Amino acid sequence: MQNLKNFWISKQISKLLTYTVIIFLILNVNIYKSFSNNLDKGEAIVQQMIVEAKNHAIDTIKLEPKERSTKIELLIKKYVNLDFMGRATTGTFWKKASKKQREMYKTALLKQIVLTIEEHLNTLATLSYEQKKSEKRGKKLVYVRGLIKDPNGNKPEVNLLWKLAADKTGSFLILDLEIEGISLVSSQKAEAVSILRKNKGDFNILLENMNKNQ
Amino acid sequence: MIKKSKFLFVNLITAIFILNGCSSSKKFASENKDPFEKINRNVFEFNKYIDQKIISPISKTYIKKIPPKVRTGVSDHLDWMNTPSTIINSALQADMENTILASAKFLLNGLTFGFYDLDKGDIKKRDFGSTLAKLNVSEGPFLMVPFLGPKTTRDLTGTILDKQNMATLSSNAFDNLSLAEIPVNMVDKRGKILKTIDNIYLSADPYIKIKSFYLQNRRNEIYGEKYLENKNNNLDAEFEKLLD
Repeated sequence: MQNLKNFWISKQISKLLTYTVIIFLILNVNIYKSFSNNLDKGEAIVQQMIVEAKNHAIDTIKLEPKERSTKIELLIKKYVNLDFMGRATTGTFWKKASKKQREMYKTALLKQIVLTIEEHLNTLATLSYEQKKSEKRGKKLVYVRGLIKDPNGNKPEVNLLWKLAADKTGSFLILDLEIEGISLVSSQKAEAVSILRKNKGDFNILLENMNKNQ
Repeated sequence: MIKKSKFLFVNLITAIFILNGCSSSKKFASENKDPFEKINRNVFEFNKYIDQKIISPISKTYIKKIPPKVRTGVSDHLDWMNTPSTIINSALQADMENTILASAKFLLNGLTFGFYDLDKGDIKKRDFGSTLAKLNVSEGPFLMVPFLGPKTTRDLTGTILDKQNMATLSSNAFDNLSLAEIPVNMVDKRGKILKTIDNIYLSADPYIKIKSFYLQNRRNEIYGEKYLENKNNNLDAEFEKLLD
């Protein structure tokens, strides 16, 4: 009788173990799949954006500067998470800003990004982009590394690091770009927070400073 | 006599800056801490004025009038003039591979006085600032130096020591040539980043932007992957929090 009971218990344990292993495997495969899916998605977004930016540089070369800027704005809005950038570059001061101030800040930020891209757009058409290894960071972030090369070897190579994450709708958007180790979010944050700190968190003064030369 | 007093002066300044750097136990000073901000901002305005009135217009003309091939030659020559500093500092940092590569490059390109880069292989540029960093001297407060631009106290010490070393080791002719080439170097460097600097001037606070760019770039140059990994770990935690 005791033997039969032991046999039944050991059978139950082995069953339980088998189920646990199966569940563990299924979960692991899914996690791995979602990891590699996220990496693929991140890489695809960056590739797509580079292609669009290159085409854009060629297509818009004859346009008026204002028209060109508007087209770049659309391109940035499609690929960059401006809402995140707004929050990341103002730190705790973001909570103190009104809805209108937040929108105005995002618009000013967009203008700054456009200015930076316009600066390099003409040279981008003649350079080549090479995708390097990507990696999953933490629970949500994906890093995509790339290299900008001059096919003629006249200009030095530039290392890029794109930081991406999925938004609420699940589509991957760019959160930050590091050019040769210089993070755009970090430098924008240093600037914005310094002005906000000196002016007791007054967003209007920050906006005034951002818009005065644009 | 003049040489002796110059030597003493340089060593005194060096000692002050090294001690200043050593006084902080942290490797990196916080970007928010800027004890000399008021003076730095005044110097920044002075540098900006000089840049906008003299250096930038000359650089723009230089880019417009001089063909790219000649400009590349001038840039290569200026790099070649700085290679001895890389050789000395690579040796001091026990980076034998870079010491050998830089020495070979210096000798080979010496055939053309550096005007044509016969060896396209890249060497890592090293200066005394990076040697001090390898010796665990902390970077110290941020400084805006007249004409030289952004530096940390450690890097300013490094620059002074580099000049002192070159003056001691090189011949008078080489020394005079490198002095005469300072303005050319300024124009050449500015010409390469014309639009970038002009865009920085348009930002909300150009002083802070230049400081942030300089510190991130310099730390990346000296510490490479270690610095980037550390910085990105901190940023990741911040980003994940914001994404929740």
